[in-house]
Amino acid sequence: MTPFSLQTSKRLKQKVVNSLLVGCCLLTSACSQQKTDITRNGITFCSESSPASLNPQLDTSSTTADASSHQIYDRLLEFNTDNGRIEPGLASSWLVSNDGLTYTFQLRKGVKFHSTDYFTPSRNFNADDVIFSIDRWRVVSHPYHDISGGNYPYFDSLGLGNTIKDVKRINGYRVEISLYKPDSSFLANLATDFSVILSAEYAMALMKDGSPSYLDRFPIGTGPYKFLSYRKDQFIRYQRHNDYFLDSKGPENLVFDITPKSSLRVAKLITGECDAVAFPSQNDLETIRERDDLTLLEKPGLNVGFWAFNTTKAPFNDPRVRKALALAIDKTSLLEAVYLGQATRAKSLVPSASWAHQSNMQDLGYNPVAARKLLDEAGIPFNFTMNIWAMPVQRAYNPNAMKMAQLMSSYLADVGVTVNIVSYDWARFRENLTLGMHDSVLIGWSADNGDPDNFYRPLLTCAAIPSGTNRARWCNEEYDVLIESALNTEDENERRIFYHRANQVIFRETPLVPIAHAYQYQAVSNNIQGMVINPFGGIRFDDVERTP
Amino acid sequence: MINLLARYVNLVVLTIAALILISFSLPYLFPGDVLTNMSGIVPESEAQRAALEGVYKLNSSVFVQFWYYLNTLFSGNWGVSFSSQESLFDAVSIAFPATIELITYALLISVVVGIPLGFIGGIWHHKPFDFGVVTFSVVSYSFPVFWLALIFITIFSLQLGLLPLSGRVNLLYDVPHHSGFIIVDILVADIPHKADALYDALQHLILPTLSIAFVTTAIFVRFTRRSIMDVMEKGYIDAAKSRGFTTKQIFFKHGLRNALLPILPLMAMQISTLITNAMVVETIFSWPGIGNWLIQAIYQRDYPAIRIGMLVVSVFVVTLTFTIEFLSRAIDPARDKFERATI
Amino acid sequence: MPRFSLYQEEFHPSPFMHIWLEFKRSHFALVGLAVLLMFCGIAVLAPLMSPYDPNIQNTNAILLPPAWEGNGSISHIFGTDALGRDVFSRTLHGARTTFGSSVILVIIALLIGVALGTLAGMNKGVKSSVLNHLLDSLMAVPTLLIAIIIVAILGTGLLNSMMAIILALIPQFVHQTRSFVREEMKKDYVLLDKLDGASSARIFWKSILPSMFELLAVQSTLALSVAIIDISALGFLSLGAQVPLVELGASLSQSLEVAYSAPWLVALPGFCIFLMVLAVNIVGEGLRSALRNRLIH
Repeated sequence: MTPFSLQTSKRLKQKVVNSLLVGCCLLTSACSQQKTDITRNGITFCSESSPASLNPQLDTSSTTADASSHQIYDRLLEFNTDNGRIEPGLASSWLVSNDGLTYTFQLRKGVKFHSTDYFTPSRNFNADDVIFSIDRWRVVSHPYHDISGGNYPYFDSLGLGNTIKDVKRINGYRVEISLYKPDSSFLANLATDFSVILSAEYAMALMKDGSPSYLDRFPIGTGPYKFLSYRKDQFIRYQRHNDYFLDSKGPENLVFDITPKSSLRVAKLITGECDAVAFPSQNDLETIRERDDLTLLEKPGLNVGFWAFNTTKAPFNDPRVRKALALAIDKTSLLEAVYLGQATRAKSLVPSASWAHQSNMQDLGYNPVAARKLLDEAGIPFNFTMNIWAMPVQRAYNPNAMKMAQLMSSYLADVGVTVNIVSYDWARFRENLTLGMHDSVLIGWSADNGDPDNFYRPLLTCAAIPSGTNRARWCNEEYDVLIESALNTEDENERRIFYHRANQVIFRETPLVPIAHAYQYQAVSNNIQGMVINPFGGIRFDDVERTP
Repeated sequence: MINLLARYVNLVVLTIAALILISFSLPYLFPGDVLTNMSGIVPESEAQRAALEGVYKLNSSVFVQFWYYLNTLFSGNWGVSFSSQESLFDAVSIAFPATIELITYALLISVVVGIPLGFIGGIWHHKPFDFGVVTFSVVSYSFPVFWLALIFITIFSLQLGLLPLSGRVNLLYDVPHHSGFIIVDILVADIPHKADALYDALQHLILPTLSIAFVTTAIFVRFTRRSIMDVMEKGYIDAAKSRGFTTKQIFFKHGLRNALLPILPLMAMQISTLITNAMVVETIFSWPGIGNWLIQAIYQRDYPAIRIGMLVVSVFVVTLTFTIEFLSRAIDPARDKFERATI
Repeated sequence: MPRFSLYQEEFHPSPFMHIWLEFKRSHFALVGLAVLLMFCGIAVLAPLMSPYDPNIQNTNAILLPPAWEGNGSISHIFGTDALGRDVFSRTLHGARTTFGSSVILVIIALLIGVALGTLAGMNKGVKSSVLNHLLDSLMAVPTLLIAIIIVAILGTGLLNSMMAIILALIPQFVHQTRSFVREEMKKDYVLLDKLDGASSARIFWKSILPSMFELLAVQSTLALSVAIIDISALGFLSLGAQVPLVELGASLSQSLEVAYSAPWLVALPGFCIFLMVLAVNIVGEGLRSALRNRLIH
């Protein structure tokens, strides 16, 4: 040890402290948002949850759609995000036969699939890819049908597999799809997030290698970004697809930073660690609006948040019980406390933006006395215990299900019902819901296309029970017939009448309590341009760029 | 010396054996299916179940199972995570170095700041400076580490906008995984903008490291101060004084060494506190370390991950603790074996 | 120990009295003690002191700021949280849970630890050595890890997290007791008892235990501060107390989602935990220096 006096040691310490301080300052001060090259060429999006898969055919969760649909893949048709009209995608044009049974698609030429370190395509996109992508979920005997579980919840819930008669190749760039019966929402369904086009060549190569499940884990598509890597609960990395068939202004790198806590997402937006965030917490909206460096994007959402009862479980199979529970909660104050007023009260499934909305619909008010009376009639004892499953992620239709469940439990306590709140991580939550382990659940639905059928069919028809989108597990013949009839006609007025009659059935039976149609929000840093809210599903980054 | 080494090696081996035994029994104690708890796979068919049971020797006696478990442990074949189906060995080898990196820097700061402060306080005890040192250490020792981290975030990230609040490095830098230590990885990596990445990583390190170091520094200050005060009261110091040595000579010849020696085993005892704090801080700063990983695992009831994570962390802590204790006893054989800390 | 004194009639405080006299010479220690007593009071009387039921939700009064802010209301001194619950009542009840459970678990750990430590200290040989090794390994395992294992097996809850912390605290008490008992057994006054034919139990109860109180008091304050931090950390990670039980760490983590619009909801429970631990540490520090001073004089 070098001998030095205590005085010098003190002075030395002072020096050390000083230099440390200076070091810290250098490290921190100079950096004030000085973007380096790589951060200038990249965009970080803070998403709310880990996708269960990277193929939206396999999952209806919007997390999966966000992470894959518009990044990695393209569809035959696209929705215009402004007006909801159907526009050309990979299909440059299409023809519908007069009887509404045959659809012919002319495909775009020269569209390149991603070339990555795990796959190099030898040919461009053609009809085989379309046939493969549709047949995978449609044909039960297809070699790829049972890979990754064999469930295609969106298509199964609509019964699309039974609607399509055949998908035929006419030539390399022309495909003909024939149906058994006319379906007024068929084109819209082909434009949803779930109808993505996969690479048939890649699938065959994987099958040969004996690792077919890689198709959904190491995806190949034609979209504006290619997949680089994914670590659950941490990040997904993408790189720009330079041969994308459209002009894309997108950045060189795109990262999804998976941040489940909404408050943390906003905090990261403020510090500049995120350039855009999904589902900012309602509490932070005001803060974001007030800040000069951030923009809050908002749009009335095509969605509905609801409280669904598991109608296969006693005593929730009794409509009186369901109605009583619906009467026991005060929706108005839920709207105030959870959505902070940024939502409209829901009376039926579709929001007022849809032509099928019924403005004169009756609604169950808040009436705890009537609720208790109904419960007594149904023989429900005081201190009856039930559970409410509160989804662990934020959605526009329910920004804080946990908080809502807590509020509801105090209302239900007033009528003598004790509530246990249940929550799992998102993937497990949905799995267990599909198994019907819940008594009731707070969840909701966002439109995938503008058609009202997109609400009525997946949410409550019998066919949607096994596919897991019918959270009430409610099966009612009268309702199914009404929904089916509404699809057989193209006339909006006629369809509207069917849907209004379906509303009456829902009101009478109360398989679920509609709660809110909420605004959709996205918070974006002002360094980013071109972000828009896509009301018909997943987030898009193809036209997003960083301002210099 | 050989004797001592043998005794410590024996101790470490026995303890690790006990930990392995505990981790072996965990799948039977956890709720749910034993097979799933072990393998992380939910068998989809009877055939798959039978195959898995064959792999894990579930139909054989417990001893065979244990022997097989030992084999898998040492071959690095640790099964897969229940929630992500990722190899646990890979996950741990990514997450654990991140934690070690964090606690190494925190420990370094604590030693560099804590020990000198403690020395000065101890030598001039009951003087104003010492009063300041003691106050600082009592106050910072009383901070719940999660609250402290939140305060740091509020001030340095949200109010001043100086430092990032989550992760190890901006995710746009795609740093390939070599050693798991981000600084090392960046230095050896062949990526563009290396200097920027390094700078970015250092910025990410500051807040989590300081949050952990704050509490640990307080403990070091108190240990050192107490130790130097005890030593300066010893008879040999008086003897040296009476022989006319200067304070400086006395301090460096007799005080320093004797005061430093007892601090070493006390440091060993702080490792488990350090790890606990690091785990909490990791969850706040979304640091992709083993603590964050384990806490996510418990939220998702990922039993295979909990079992392996628990084993890895506890084996690490036990080995490190006993190594330091062995070293301190080897340097200072006079120390009573059972002497324990009072701060 | 008091040395030779010329004036025999002078005041001779008992050992405990002596400690108290030394202790109260420090103003800090006294203030710490007062705060600690306040928390004890809260732990016992929280239900009587709080103006509202801590779980009553009022959707008409959501996120009211505390009374000292411009638009705060005097009916909710600390304001209300995101569900319209009274924060003052919640803080009182939270402090009660955090502090009360910490005190209880320290007492349990103390009893078990002293019992085991005495056994180990009064016996020699294999039994003692096995116990020692077992404890060494237990001590090296971080508290949070023990808690994670226990939560994985038994589920979340205050009792389970208390169990984990008790397990983590026991070894310290055992080691302290053990080395103390070892030392004392060598001393002459114990030898005297032995020669008188006293049983081991009698030696322990009559001779060793009384002289151990001070050591245990100091060790308990240390353990208490660790226990409070650990209980609230587990609550913060939502592995500890679950709704409807109010706990400070858990309230803090629940308030994180409104941290930006209602920072006081994060500040208050955190400050409360900090104050609690600080008070315990100051009292512990005061106690230790009082003991040391008594031994010197």
